[in-house]
Amino acid sequence: MPEKIMIIEDDPVIRTELETLLRGNGFLPCVVTDFERTVCQVKDEDPHLILLDIKLPGKSGFYLCSEIRSFSDVPVIFVTSSNTDMDELNSIMLGGDAFITKPYNTAILLAKIRSLLKRAWPGRQNEGLSWHGAVLHPEEGTLEYDDRKVELTKNEQKILYYLFTHAGVICSRADIIDYLWDSRLYVDDNALSVNINRIREKLAGIGLTDFIRTKHRQGYLI
Amino acid sequence: MAEKQDSFSPDKSSLHGCPLCFSLLSGSTRDTIVFILIIWTLILCIGLSLSFISAKRRYDCLLRMAEELEERYLIPEVMEKPKQAEDQVYWQILKMSERSMLEQVENGRRERKEYREYIEQWIHEIKTPITAIRLLCDNNRSDFTREIMGEVEEITQYTEQSLYYARSENTQNDYLIREIRILDVIHDAVADNKYLLMQNQVVLKLPENDLCVCSDEKWLRFILDQFIVNAVKYRSEKPVIRFLAEDRGEYVTLSVQDNGIGIDAADLPRVFEKGFTGQNGRNVLHSTGLGLYLCRKLCDKLGIGIRIESAGTEPAGTEPAEGESSGTTVTLIFYLNHLIHQVQD
Repeated sequence: MPEKIMIIEDDPVIRTELETLLRGNGFLPCVVTDFERTVCQVKDEDPHLILLDIKLPGKSGFYLCSEIRSFSDVPVIFVTSSNTDMDELNSIMLGGDAFITKPYNTAILLAKIRSLLKRAWPGRQNEGLSWHGAVLHPEEGTLEYDDRKVELTKNEQKILYYLFTHAGVICSRADIIDYLWDSRLYVDDNALSVNINRIREKLAGIGLTDFIRTKHRQGYLI
Repeated sequence: MAEKQDSFSPDKSSLHGCPLCFSLLSGSTRDTIVFILIIWTLILCIGLSLSFISAKRRYDCLLRMAEELEERYLIPEVMEKPKQAEDQVYWQILKMSERSMLEQVENGRRERKEYREYIEQWIHEIKTPITAIRLLCDNNRSDFTREIMGEVEEITQYTEQSLYYARSENTQNDYLIREIRILDVIHDAVADNKYLLMQNQVVLKLPENDLCVCSDEKWLRFILDQFIVNAVKYRSEKPVIRFLAEDRGEYVTLSVQDNGIGIDAADLPRVFEKGFTGQNGRNVLHSTGLGLYLCRKLCDKLGIGIRIESAGTEPAGTEPAEGESSGTTVTLIFYLNHLIHQVQD
């Protein structure tokens, strides 16, 4: 069951693209288009997290936040283009959980969302990802196959995570490197090859061969 | 008699003229006239000296006042209205010129303020389309969007730079001091320049330790952004950027070390000056001479020490000798007790 994230943002392009981004990262986005009844919609949808712009038609984000706080403790991330300290201070005073300034880095935004969700809903555990009998446990950093487990390094685990979430699709080397950089692992092209080889050796060790296939000039595929 | 009058006439002053004529006509002797002349001269001298002393005292006092005054143009406000008619004329002229100057200053100030507000407003507006472009690129990743993202990063850089430039002119302190993890700020600064670093195949070395400092996160991030951009701009063949954080007890240092072309020893003392580009600026395009100037300015405001070292530029075409460290190191120094002192002051 994916977490529901509410987007309260007045710029239509940013709104749709945020929706796409969140859906692509395994969340369930819902958007507000009628800013007259935002608070009612928050009550109806009961999201797990809210992305809130400060400058909105009608009531400001600050006002909305204090309204929402009167009935809910849902995590609120302020997303705004004005980055004065007054705004940041205000957002903290009114019960905002984080303050992110535009133009934000999507990786940083997603990391913030994940860490807030983890803190607010500790019970929700991500079950392992499975593909063709292999199960990846991102929390433990292990891969399981045929009741045999193998430990993974941070790099290996992130590479496999990306491949598992894009299972059946060819992943280009550039996309994988992009993803690794977003996960704060600064790996270059050579290091990626080394890591892939090491993963293959590890997988072979638990009897999983030819799991990662190389598509010439295109990338990798599981 | 006519003879005597002639002998007096060439140098007789108009002041003494009338009484002298009167004495001569009334038949006083020559000695009496000389005596009277001496007495008059004496009295005149005393009178002149007294008025000189009092005038000197008055003007000295005014000069001193003017010197002690921080804003000298306000002198007509603090000086007393003079008693002499001549002085009063000057005083009035001074008052008038003060008023017109204050008007001019006020106009200039208001225009500057309006312009700064407009710039800040503009920067906030431009951030919306930049955000939209970033999201569009991130949702449709390809080699093409990666190229665009590299350019968008540069646009963001310049936008941020102009915002901080507009703000650095402002005297009010606009920062939020909190305990921040150095590692987090480094990661965020790297994320800001992700595509720039990837496109230039920069190898990054991050600190192993996890230290915290008290500072303003977004200002620090901006400063690190400038260091990273500089390191890439003045890079060598195989660029490496090393971040080092060290706890020295009294203070924590954060160094950003590169293996780039370095800075000429002659240019080094001037790199924090506004608009200074130096030898490197002439060789590499797009040097604004603003980055380090802003860093220094922000550091001064935040009470962070900043130091720059370089092994000097390598002559083009030669490889640096083995083991010899080339490139540039910029170090930020966070004094731990600094904030406590500031509060106590």
